Amino acid sequence: MDEFQEILQDFLIESFELVEKLDEDLVELENTPEDLELLNGIFRVAHTVKGASSFLNFDVLTHLTHHMEDVLNKARHGDLLITPNIMDVILESIDLMKALLNVIRDTSADAGIDVAACVVKLDKISGGDGEVDTPVATPEVVEEESVAEAEELDYDNMSPDDLEAEIERLLNERQEEDKAKRQAKVEAGEDVLAAPEIEEEVTAEPSTEPVSTPVPVTPTPPPVAPKVEPQKADAQAAAPAKRAPATVEQTIRVDVKRLDHLMNLIGELVLAKNRLIKINDDVEERYEGEEFLEELNQVVSIVSLVTTDLQIAVMKTRMLPIGKVFNKFPRMIRDLTRELNKKIELEISGEDTELDKSIVEEIGDPLVHIIRNSCDHGIETPDIRLAAGKSETGTIALKAYNEGNQIVIQIDDDGKGLDTEMLKNKALEKGLISEKEADSMSEKEAFGLIMRPGFSTAAAVTNVSGRGVGMDVVKTNIEKVNGIIDIESEVGVGSSMKLKIPLTLAIIQALLVGVQEEHYAIPLASVLETVRISKDEIYTVEGRSVMRLRDEVLSLVHIGDIFEVERILDVSEHAYVVVLGLGTSKLGLIVDNLVGQEEIVIKSLGDYLKGIEGIAGATIRGDGGVTLICDVVALMDMAKGVKATAMVESSSAAEITHEKSKPSDYTVMIVDDSKTDRTIMRKALEPMGITLVEASDGQEALNILKAGDYNFDAMLVDIEMPRMDGYSLATEIKKYNRYKNLPLIAVTSRTGKSDRMRGVESGMVEYITKPYSADYLASVVQRNVNFKAEFL
Amino acid sequence: MSDKLKQIINKQNEQQNSETLDQSNDIVQLVGFIIGEEEYAVPILSIQEIIKPISWTRVPQTPAYILGVFNLRGSVIPLIDLRVKFGLSSKNHNEETRFFVLKQGDDVAGFVIDRLTMAIRIKKEDIGPAPDTLAGDESMIDGVGKQDDRILTILKVAKLLERDF
Repeated sequence: MDEFQEILQDFLIESFELVEKLDEDLVELENTPEDLELLNGIFRVAHTVKGASSFLNFDVLTHLTHHMEDVLNKARHGDLLITPNIMDVILESIDLMKALLNVIRDTSADAGIDVAACVVKLDKISGGDGEVDTPVATPEVVEEESVAEAEELDYDNMSPDDLEAEIERLLNERQEEDKAKRQAKVEAGEDVLAAPEIEEEVTAEPSTEPVSTPVPVTPTPPPVAPKVEPQKADAQAAAPAKRAPATVEQTIRVDVKRLDHLMNLIGELVLAKNRLIKINDDVEERYEGEEFLEELNQVVSIVSLVTTDLQIAVMKTRMLPIGKVFNKFPRMIRDLTRELNKKIELEISGEDTELDKSIVEEIGDPLVHIIRNSCDHGIETPDIRLAAGKSETGTIALKAYNEGNQIVIQIDDDGKGLDTEMLKNKALEKGLISEKEADSMSEKEAFGLIMRPGFSTAAAVTNVSGRGVGMDVVKTNIEKVNGIIDIESEVGVGSSMKLKIPLTLAIIQALLVGVQEEHYAIPLASVLETVRISKDEIYTVEGRSVMRLRDEVLSLVHIGDIFEVERILDVSEHAYVVVLGLGTSKLGLIVDNLVGQEEIVIKSLGDYLKGIEGIAGATIRGDGGVTLICDVVALMDMAKGVKATAMVESSSAAEITHEKSKPSDYTVMIVDDSKTDRTIMRKALEPMGITLVEASDGQEALNILKAGDYNFDAMLVDIEMPRMDGYSLATEIKKYNRYKNLPLIAVTSRTGKSDRMRGVESGMVEYITKPYSADYLASVVQRNVNFKAEFL
Repeated sequence: MSDKLKQIINKQNEQQNSETLDQSNDIVQLVGFIIGEEEYAVPILSIQEIIKPISWTRVPQTPAYILGVFNLRGSVIPLIDLRVKFGLSSKNHNEETRFFVLKQGDDVAGFVIDRLTMAIRIKKEDIGPAPDTLAGDESMIDGVGKQDDRILTILKVAKLLERDF
């Protein structure tokens, strides 16, 4: 059974690959019905599928493909001219074939699809022109290439007559072949004189070909005959050129899971690299001028370079040409033109542009919707087009190209374009927007309306589009892969839609922003610009914060309001606004500071925390900490519900001044790196009976303050300390609203005037120089903590 | 002399035998920890690791008992404060605080506990069902273990790792 499964898997993979190419070929075939190369290719697909499926006992599929093969075989031998009507049937049968393959993939059996109707139609075609249903009719034109396939024909399904004919045909073929071989031998024989013997085979083979090249067929319907000759020559000439690259390209099939795993590992490596760079910077700072730094620098840069290259290389292994998606459109357009009675031509370019596999899988459906929409709503019917002075045939151009770190897929049509007034009226009618909104809407915003759920512009709902579900699905799908949609249009000239999609999903460029003590990463693709503003540039309109950005009014929201950040730190006079753009909508996000741009690896938050609004995932930073990644789409939604609190004076952490009832209610922190100094201070202050807390450096002191276990009334701070000195500590402390008025007393042996100045600048209130008397220290502390006289 | 040796060997064999008996299916191995005043336990095999507190990142829009996420060797793992989850007030982390990283299937989460006690071997028959009032599918309690003079509340790992907001 396992062996069977294995064969089945191979069969399915091969068949799907073949079928994928088929649609495109068939449509092309309709335009050039005599292209033998194409016909042969299509015939081969039907034949391969038939052979394999009969081996695997898929009777329905075998039955269908057998009849398809008959029709194609006739066409291949020129007994049948492919007309659009015949093509319809062939296409139908191929659809059935695809459906069957899907069923087989899901259930390992080919039941449940009725092919009888289609088989009857196929039979009609293959029998319709009155000739016998065998290729024997023209034995003399049998070509070398068909021999291989013909030999594998399914004899079981043939009638005795057919069988006989087939045998006769095969005999003829063999004779032809022998004749050709003999001739080749003769030719080669002449060569042998000059060339070594081993080359005989090699030289013989190419020389066979001209002999067996199919001679133009006699039974070809006369009217077409003159045209046939040059086209065939063309096809023949083009064929070798087409095949050459295919044979050179060497590929192996790799399980996608393995590639995913590889990608994950690379992600880890990128994180480690970021970390290494950070450590390198730290080391550089600390050991400036040391010799080993040079070496370390080199190693770090090599590692980071190789990591980047490796990342690109692995990303490339996951890349697929977008042609894989584009392939199905010629067929779709063909069907649509017949259905809608319009004349539409599809121009595809840039199908070699590559995209990550996961993205290629996601963009198929949105593109189908967009192209259907262009056909249905965009391109006008031939008579309207003629009346408007355009050519009867409409054109839809589908192109893909690289633009920086993104892929752009552009869909242009030369149809009637989008009418903003009509769009607005429609949206008003459906209650999607208010009158006021309609008036203030820019052209771009109006185009954006077609992406709104529940919006449909077709007056009548057709089979093709106009159910009002299409375009908003497009929007969600594109946003899912972090892409954006840009619409441009001119009434009467046409419209153009650009989908901008990042190259890969796993590793992105992000802007890191800070709010209070937290950091967030914003995907750089959605950041339009950043601006620095002061508080008085923010206005409030209808309860929402806005600012003027050049000639636009930009609505603002504070990131802290969205992510419920507690305002502990004092907000400075200035803030930064990150302008987020998503398609046509814009939003200004106020943040406290900008940290910088970084390459980040997206990690999921796991099942437990997934689906948190506004958070797309997390990443691990160079310092090993976790930073959350904003989901810009959700952010814009959430911003609508946030009231204007941005930049308002921070929620005053109302300090409860506890009534002091005993000396130990007073708490003073002693910060000094010297144990002796701390003991001296303690000895001096202990007689007062106050509570004393010690810290050995600035960082530790800050942590104690942050923990908030004590309500300090004063701090004694040494200036010279490792990790964080007294000045920096004071500066840090003053950032906290809560400790703004905490008296900081410097206790130091630095006596210079500039030292004192720095102390004052950083917020120290007193400056005690060592050595000092115990009484003096006690009195300074008492004064600063407002020590009640009765406790003395 | 050889008699003595024999005796020792015999004794060792006896011990080994009794140990192998202990390891039979009747024994459950647990790790005990304290939250607030109570002692709780989880099966030792559900514990991926126990680490000292490290820094974590707050995640917005989550209940109070979810402290956030932390980085465990490259994986982003949620951190849950069991004190808050069990209705106690949160407490600052100290020397004895530990992060318990529990794992079941693909679900992994870290839990903050006040203090570790010890690895416990307990006979199955010494584990009683949870009190009727607390039993049921919704309960986080798997059973109550009795050992010497203490009582252990054994928690359902699956329930702990289940998202309930």
